[in-house]
Amino acid sequence: MAALRAFWNSPVGPKTTHFWGPVANWGFVTAGLVDTQKPPEMISGNMTAAMCVYSGLFMRFAWMVRPRNYLLLACHVSNEAVQLYQLSRWAKAQGYVY
Amino acid sequence: MAAAKFQALWNHPAGPKTIHFWAPTFKWVISIANVADFSKPPEMISYPHQMVVACTGIIWSRYSLVITPRNLNLFSVNIGMASTGLYQLSRKVREDYLSDGKEEHVEEQ
Repeated sequence: MAALRAFWNSPVGPKTTHFWGPVANWGFVTAGLVDTQKPPEMISGNMTAAMCVYSGLFMRFAWMVRPRNYLLLACHVSNEAVQLYQLSRWAKAQGYVY
Repeated sequence: MAAAKFQALWNHPAGPKTIHFWAPTFKWVISIANVADFSKPPEMISYPHQMVVACTGIIWSRYSLVITPRNLNLFSVNIGMASTGLYQLSRKVREDYLSDGKEEHVEEQ
């Protein structure tokens, strides 16, 4: 109970945008996972490549920003994985990779 | 005068020597990729993805004003993301729900 209350009142807790910003970004991970079930012809190479670089940079940002944001870090690590997987599906479908 | 201003920007806590500058600067590529995808047919737009782009753009616009260091670069790029996301969503909604009548008419011909 005390832990829950500490979380609720935390300066990076659910009453603050430091929590909801990263929660919103988990949407990219979820959307990415949903899109893995769609045919690779629907993948946008532009957007997926952009997402890969974006999550790479924001992993570092999450570490350096104050307050340090572990939720955001976890989100971008996950997104990097999903987007790299989608990029590989796209590249295979385009014939760039066998 | 100009040199002093340049120095101030160069050494800013959210300036070009820090990730606080490069992460948001790169994030523009997402909006640019989205703009490039404006010319793709709406069938190729992903509802989940564009909804996330729009929502994160809106929430992060607020986030960027309360973090340390306060980041107007991040603020502007998220406004851009929200705008392109909402536009892509409107294109797909228009195609899926608002133009059914017209499509049927064309097929009959």
